[in-house]
Amino acid sequence: MLIKLSNGIVYDPAAGVAGQQRDIYIKNGRIIDPPSDTVPDQEYNLHGKVVMSGAIDMHTHIGGGKGNIARILLPEDHRADPVERNSICRSGCGHAMPSTFVTGYRYAEMGYTAGFEPALLPINARQAHMEMGDIPILDKGGYVMLGSDDYLLRLLAAKKDQQAINDYVAWTINAAKAIGVKVVNPGGINAFKFNQRKLDLDEQNSHYGITPREILQVLATAVKAIGVSHPLHVHGCNLGVPGNMQTTLDTIQGIGGLPMHLTHIQFHSYGTEGDFKFSSGAAQIAEAINKNKNITIDVGQILFGQTVTASGDNMRQHANHKHASPNKWVTMDIECDAGCGVVPFKYKDQNFVNALQWAIGLETFLLVDDPWRIFLTTDHPNGAPFTSYPHLIRLLMDRTFRNDVLATIHPEAQRMTTLASIDREYSLNEIAIMTRAGAAKLIGLKDRGHLGSGAWADITVYTDNSNREQMFEKPDFVFKDGQLVVVDGKVVATKWGTTHTVKPDFDPSVEKGLKDYFDRYLTMKLGNFKMSDDEITEDGRGSLTTHPLVGDLA
Amino acid sequence: MSALTLTLKYRPDQRVDMSPLSCQHLLGKEPAEIAALELQSGKCKLRVDQLFSLSGFDTQSLIIKNSFEKLDFIGRDLEEGHITVEGDAGAYLAMGMKSGQITVTGNSGLYAGCEMKNGYLEIIGDTGDFLGGALPGNKIGMKGGLILVKGNAGERVGDHLRRGMILIEGNAGDYCGSRMIAGTIAVMGQTGRYLGYAMRRGTLLLWNPPQLSASFNDCGLHTLAFLPLLFTAFKTLNSKFAENSVAFNRVQRFAGDMAEMGRGEVLVKK
Repeated sequence: MLIKLSNGIVYDPAAGVAGQQRDIYIKNGRIIDPPSDTVPDQEYNLHGKVVMSGAIDMHTHIGGGKGNIARILLPEDHRADPVERNSICRSGCGHAMPSTFVTGYRYAEMGYTAGFEPALLPINARQAHMEMGDIPILDKGGYVMLGSDDYLLRLLAAKKDQQAINDYVAWTINAAKAIGVKVVNPGGINAFKFNQRKLDLDEQNSHYGITPREILQVLATAVKAIGVSHPLHVHGCNLGVPGNMQTTLDTIQGIGGLPMHLTHIQFHSYGTEGDFKFSSGAAQIAEAINKNKNITIDVGQILFGQTVTASGDNMRQHANHKHASPNKWVTMDIECDAGCGVVPFKYKDQNFVNALQWAIGLETFLLVDDPWRIFLTTDHPNGAPFTSYPHLIRLLMDRTFRNDVLATIHPEAQRMTTLASIDREYSLNEIAIMTRAGAAKLIGLKDRGHLGSGAWADITVYTDNSNREQMFEKPDFVFKDGQLVVVDGKVVATKWGTTHTVKPDFDPSVEKGLKDYFDRYLTMKLGNFKMSDDEITEDGRGSLTTHPLVGDLA
Repeated sequence: MSALTLTLKYRPDQRVDMSPLSCQHLLGKEPAEIAALELQSGKCKLRVDQLFSLSGFDTQSLIIKNSFEKLDFIGRDLEEGHITVEGDAGAYLAMGMKSGQITVTGNSGLYAGCEMKNGYLEIIGDTGDFLGGALPGNKIGMKGGLILVKGNAGERVGDHLRRGMILIEGNAGDYCGSRMIAGTIAVMGQTGRYLGYAMRRGTLLLWNPPQLSASFNDCGLHTLAFLPLLFTAFKTLNSKFAENSVAFNRVQRFAGDMAEMGRGEVLVKK
């Protein structure tokens, strides 16, 4: 079937198209060049409507054990937000950590067509993929979490060469069906188990004698060497600690020019000035980002209201538990190989720290020049649930609105931020870069995030509205792989997205050492640890899309 | 004015959510409108007049006749008015009740008076577990008001109780007063194991010696001047608690749970 989307105002930054009227043709799920003579079977006249590719959330916690822990911990979050089933959608519930089906519907209803889980614990990968397998409409993928696993730290402590690390990283990506590598509080999750309660960039793990700086270097080197497009995805040391701005700057320097993605950088951009010894480091961080072209970031904006923080960083979550609201929390070990901390949070605009966090995130957005290297996230659900993205877009695109909100927050926080003096307003094209083209490029998705010929037809159509929140929360149409799934912000049909992966090569002999290690220390055998492709595809609705490595011919 | 009377016509197989029939939702509604309200029962919606025959029209004085143990959420979030249940009530009776009065002539199920804010709940028969407790996962149970149970109560009476009073003429099950934050629970009959488990503050007033765990400390015998005042406050109740013969002011006092904050007390009649 041939579908024509005519006369839309198209934003396709990958092709340099910024607000020009274009026709788009869809056939067999993909976008094609204008056919010479065929009459379209369906035509949508999109005169005056804004057309972008489907949005991609490159960092959102939508799968894995911590989500279920958060769900168990917060039944009130579910009771307060029930979603009834209808003839198309299944029932579900949840505001801060919605059920899988509701996650898919709500993302699609905002025009998102892909989401990437950033904390895929290797030993929990199966559960995370099964859970993401229950998220309808969206494409998904995960970054496998390394850096605090005993095996890597043993390799480093034994001074194994870089090639051994590369093989182990490549093997783990294959075993866990991931598309990238993430490191969370490098070495810190492990150090927590040896009773260390903080770990600076150059502080040694008391058992292994390894520093976070070394871990970042070997992992970033490995990711590059094995040809994974997505740079090492780093949740740095000292999350949320006043003064951690310096750690972040040192981390940028310490990586020595290797590609690195710093995630939810808002939580890592704090100074120690002012009466409350808490200040914004956004200006210095943004300056460093602007200068170091090897660095990309996503913001992890906080927005006011109830949410839950779910992180692998048990060290920092343990330190933050006293702020839990409501007052209950979980910090736990995961299968002797990783960690997890879940702490419910209520960000308040009249709380000085929360208000300044809000401002720091926005300062970061507005002070980083290159929209190709900064991504729009709330670190769902840690800064705010993903459903708040339209509100966040309005804050970025509408200076008057931003300043109106700024005027209502804690007065001391207002004095500590330069936000009011920043005139920048994001353009639609820059939003399209941050949420589509840039994200696809960062993750290494060649046929998503753009509207060129050959791309999968993930397309979102909005009605232009000066109230950007209303515009982005209710798209007119959303197409996923060429199928119309959302009309007027409501799901009209569901389908299943694919799981994006990469499959870097490794020396098969890497399993020799691993087998002994698994038999001796871990809770499952090596053979059970590795996921097979069938596990994702055998239910008939999941599928795998393997992306080329850097250097491969696409 | 005659009370609005709903008489159950038959007993549906599935449980029924009665929350749309709390008095505040009926204010100003004609009987025909009330008859047309829909109640969730299992996966079906039933009209009120499918389940009940209606008579009377005072919506602030509701009588439910032939009630049985599958009618859940009776008087949910009740803001005013008076509900009388003739027969048994299901789970979540008077959940979140803010004001008014509810009387049940028979037994009630789990979570009666759960997270109740204020008002008066009287259960003539027995009641299930988590009387005056918090919903699973929630941190604060009943916050105010008075619950009187003439029969026995199940386990976890007053779980996470924050304020208010629970009076039980019969026995209470295991974990009575568990995780109490504050408030008062009085039990005339026997109590089970793990009394006051993880209680922080609050008072458990007992007529019979309990089985206390090792994390409660004996503080000796006391004559407490506030007890006569407390019993005087019960005088208006239609209950054994109002009788002169049950009052006392000499108690053995235990403090606990020392595994928690330890500022709770168990007062046992001597």
